[in-house]
Amino acid sequence: MTEIVERQTEQTRKSFIGQRRTRVEDERLVRGLGRFVDDVDPPRLVHMALVRCPYPRARIVSIDASAARALPGVLEVLLPEDVLERTDPITILRPIPDAPAIMPRALADGEALYEGQPVVSVCAVSRYIAEDAAGLIEVEYEPQPFVVDVLKAIEDDAPILHEHMGTNVVVTNPRGDGDPERGFEESDVVVEDTFSINRVSGLPMETRAILADWTPGVKTLHVRASTQAPHLFRRQLAQSLRLPEADIRVTCDDVGGAFGLKLGIFAEDLLACVHSMDLGRPVKWVEDRMEFFRGATQARESVHQAKLGVSSDGLIVSYTNRYYVDAGAHNSPMGSPMLSSLMFQGPYKFPNGYVERNVVLTNKVPVGAYRGYGQPEGSFVREVLLDRAARKIEMDRLEIRRKNFIRPDDMPWQTIGGAKYDSGDYRACLDMAAETIGYEDVLLRQAEARADGRYVGVGFGCYVEMTGYPGSKFLGKHNAQYGAHEGVVVRANRSGGVDVYTGVPPIGQSTETAFGQVAATVIGLDPGNVRVFAGDTHGTPVNTGSFASRTLIAGSGAIERAGREVREKALRVAAHMLDVPVETLELEDSVITSTQGPRITFEEVALNAFYAHRMPEGELPGLEATAYYDPISNAFAYGTAAAIVEVDPESGEFTLERFLFVHDCGTQVNPLLVEGQLHGGIAQALGAALFEEIVYDQESGQLVNGSMIDYFMPTAADLPRIELGHTEVASPVTPFGVRGIGESGTIPPGAAVANALADALSPFGVDINRLPLTAEYVWRLLAAKQAAR
Amino acid sequence: MKPAPFVYERAGSVEEALAMLQRYEGDARLLAGGQSLVPLLNMRLLMPSAVIDVNDVPGLDEIREEGDEVAIGALTRYSRIEWSPTLVSRLPLLTETVRYVGDRQVRTRGTLGGSLAHADPTGEMPLAAIALGATVVVQSQAGRRAVPAEEFFLGPYYTVLEPEEMVVEVRFPVRRTVSAIAEHARRHGDFAVISVAAVGEPNGDGGWKSVRVALGGVADTPILAVEASALLSGTSLEPDVVARAGEMALAAADPPTDVRASADYRRHLIPIYVRRTLELLQTRRSEGAR
Ligand SMILES: Cc1cc2nc3c(=O)[nH]c(=O)nc-3n(C[C@H](O)[C@H](O)[C@H](O)COP(=O)(O)OP(=O)(O)OC[C@H]3O[C@@H](n4cnc5c(N)ncnc54)[C@H](O)[C@@H]3O)c2cc1C
Repeated sequence: MTEIVERQTEQTRKSFIGQRRTRVEDERLVRGLGRFVDDVDPPRLVHMALVRCPYPRARIVSIDASAARALPGVLEVLLPEDVLERTDPITILRPIPDAPAIMPRALADGEALYEGQPVVSVCAVSRYIAEDAAGLIEVEYEPQPFVVDVLKAIEDDAPILHEHMGTNVVVTNPRGDGDPERGFEESDVVVEDTFSINRVSGLPMETRAILADWTPGVKTLHVRASTQAPHLFRRQLAQSLRLPEADIRVTCDDVGGAFGLKLGIFAEDLLACVHSMDLGRPVKWVEDRMEFFRGATQARESVHQAKLGVSSDGLIVSYTNRYYVDAGAHNSPMGSPMLSSLMFQGPYKFPNGYVERNVVLTNKVPVGAYRGYGQPEGSFVREVLLDRAARKIEMDRLEIRRKNFIRPDDMPWQTIGGAKYDSGDYRACLDMAAETIGYEDVLLRQAEARADGRYVGVGFGCYVEMTGYPGSKFLGKHNAQYGAHEGVVVRANRSGGVDVYTGVPPIGQSTETAFGQVAATVIGLDPGNVRVFAGDTHGTPVNTGSFASRTLIAGSGAIERAGREVREKALRVAAHMLDVPVETLELEDSVITSTQGPRITFEEVALNAFYAHRMPEGELPGLEATAYYDPISNAFAYGTAAAIVEVDPESGEFTLERFLFVHDCGTQVNPLLVEGQLHGGIAQALGAALFEEIVYDQESGQLVNGSMIDYFMPTAADLPRIELGHTEVASPVTPFGVRGIGESGTIPPGAAVANALADALSPFGVDINRLPLTAEYVWRLLAAKQAAR
Repeated sequence: MKPAPFVYERAGSVEEALAMLQRYEGDARLLAGGQSLVPLLNMRLLMPSAVIDVNDVPGLDEIREEGDEVAIGALTRYSRIEWSPTLVSRLPLLTETVRYVGDRQVRTRGTLGGSLAHADPTGEMPLAAIALGATVVVQSQAGRRAVPAEEFFLGPYYTVLEPEEMVVEVRFPVRRTVSAIAEHARRHGDFAVISVAAVGEPNGDGGWKSVRVALGGVADTPILAVEASALLSGTSLEPDVVARAGEMALAAADPPTDVRASADYRRHLIPIYVRRTLELLQTRRSEGAR
């Protein structure tokens, strides 16, 4: 049985949960008053630039920095030998189970393993001069054999990236249940294919950035970072720089997008700190887009060998997926994604299943977390195969899904991948999607269009998303370097409001607004009386940060506890001040009222608590509480995406006519924020499904499209209108019944569009097995069919 | 992405700009809208000694009707071309084509002269200039010369311009034509994978004369499909003629493979886009528009 979260917040009081409130962050962001790293220019500021390896792999024979050092304005040049001795490798926050950690260093150690790896670092009075100096540094490279293709990297004669490992396969993680092979034998129809998922990137508007400011003598390193997890950042810096944590403060005011790639520290962060410690001056590094494509972690690239067996009446008998993740040249703090495995089953139940993750090294930019963390890939493969199986047995694609869904009364459900689904009505979302899109009508229209020589198709993709963590103990078992909890300080102020301190930085998903709504509800104030102070390691409790769709789950639990303590103390103090029994008091709209008549404002009570002039016997001064909340289980969000496309089979061009997304994220604390999260996630999903791909040239190993000119991120003009629908099944395992929403949007859109395309082109018998879905790719599929005829 | 050091010069007149070009002996670049030059400087793909800003040169951004020609100054911004009443009525292909260039920000800064001098093989202005049979007027201290657009482009980002020369204006012949463009791009406002522009003069008898079909993105420069154009002139754009013209255009092309599309796919698209453009031409004629 799944534990049920105790709910102590009385439901009778006024609640701001569920209200569509405008984002408090927008007051500054829309006015252009946000404070990002590059907005801060302290006196005596200096700038860093890097020399990066231009080859996919090269030994560093010699480095001559004399001309750079002689350039006026250059303050310091750091060669590998200058920093490798003084810094430790970057720690891995989420180690890959059973795998060796291949930890990044500040600069390439004798050999660079991917194009873009930092080799030399320069500090100068301006970024211009720093780049001039970088251009003057002569590095003699000896290019080495390389591999930039994940399947080639596992061949016997592939160049090995890290000799001591003897292989490029970092780890093989299998998981299964039943007897998949027998399952295929018993299936009436088996479909299988190899799927290629494209390498993409999260593309935050604010690139990676750091401002490191060391004050000599007092020995404090104040770092302004663009990160999702300031407390983890502080810890990692302390470890790699060999400093006590007390010396380091990490401040994170506004973060211009993160999407997973701003988890943990990077080599450049260490370098900026080392320069600052050497020079005693603030050092700024704001990554430019050219560096971004060569240094910031990338994501998703993988090859999936998947097989699905069904019975003629549409039941899934067996499903297997052996996949190879292209991890790049070494571990990143959060790479590589795990959820293609954990969530491989999706919303369906079946007796036999096997999933195997192989993490493979290549001479490419390291892979890290990206919104979805393996779920978009796994879900794409499963949903596309399921449609194929349905076509083979001539069953409607809605029907086959309905037959196999895990039902609400099956919950909690232990999956083959190792997840425990808490609750949910998966069919409800599919049904709503089908009805909203007018499924039957679309089929009629499709038939008419075909008679007319036009090709219209409709497609669906279903998903279940793991949100949050099932507790710190679970993470401990997996050796993670953080916990699952969030902590907050809730402190009343003397104007009658409360200040909430959280280590969760503002990365765009509006936790200040949501946290404010929760705190206001729990305490009995208006959200306008709550201020959230976020992202500074000074003054906020040690926490985990903003990722894994976990922030609101863990954060609201902590706020509920701390808020309750503050509220209860306020009532005790008020009882004393009013001379009435505490049980007679209620706090709402900032006023404490006794059923016996007297009333007093929260402001008066708070003021008195801080003066402590009239406190109850034994009550300590102050009105604040620190609380932590450690989740007891994951909550699972779910839903269905649907798409209608029209394809021109002559050119392969197609238009996405309609796109809709029906989902359940449990209780919606603020529907406006939920919709914003979905819009963003869906835009990224459609970007990856239709446009984006980081391409490496197989011959030269070189990055082909390392700039925004050639990396096809969609603009608003390229995206369809997004229609949203939702159901709201409160999760029984989280505070307030919330499920995470940060990543959902990224998961099913690719499958929905691919299935719509395959549907439109079903007269041609086209099978889709890769992303992105470009017009050229569709043309090639059709051309191959014609050639085969 | 910071440029290498350069001297910033600001020219107050064409003569001054030309004198500066002469003085730097080929090691200076003119700065017009900066939409291509600035990224190239920032990526250090170009490291000239000097950048000569011509944005203050008076009179270089005028659109003038002169007899049966329209002369457009080199510094005329895309956005002016887009909204110019003169061009909407006299050279609608230009106002239509310019909307395929980048986004609004790019069009607010980018200029006609910069676009031609930059000579992107997928550039829409070079394509339109060729389709319309424009003449590029080029000047140096030695004097002026007029270069037909078809002869102006020599290769990717490479033109007949000598280092000490600049484009001062582009002259477009104005006739009673119908025109159309169709383009395939990877995303809205992106550089073309392929583009086709067509211009033709309707005959009294439902036929066409002086048809010109130009293609972008299919060779080192935008090209005039000479044979296809000749074939189409004097016809009524019957489907089989259009199909043959598509094949001829294909034969004239030598498309590249790059991150946007393969050469194969570009080849596949050429006849399709030639047909679509010509169909659009027919439709527009029958609608009496443009
Ligand atoms: C995001 C983005 C998207 C774009 N999309 C497209 C697109 O879809 N289609 C397209 O065609 N282009 C596109 N461009 C490029 C754009 O059209 C440029 O504006 C154009 O290529 C150059 O014009 P400019 O006035 O900005 O010239 P600049 O960038 O100032 O100069 C470009 C070059 O021309 C030279 N030059 C400038 N003026 C003259 C002159 N009068 N005589 C001689 N040489 C001169 C300069 O020295 C330089 O070498 C895009 C650009 C961006 C940034």
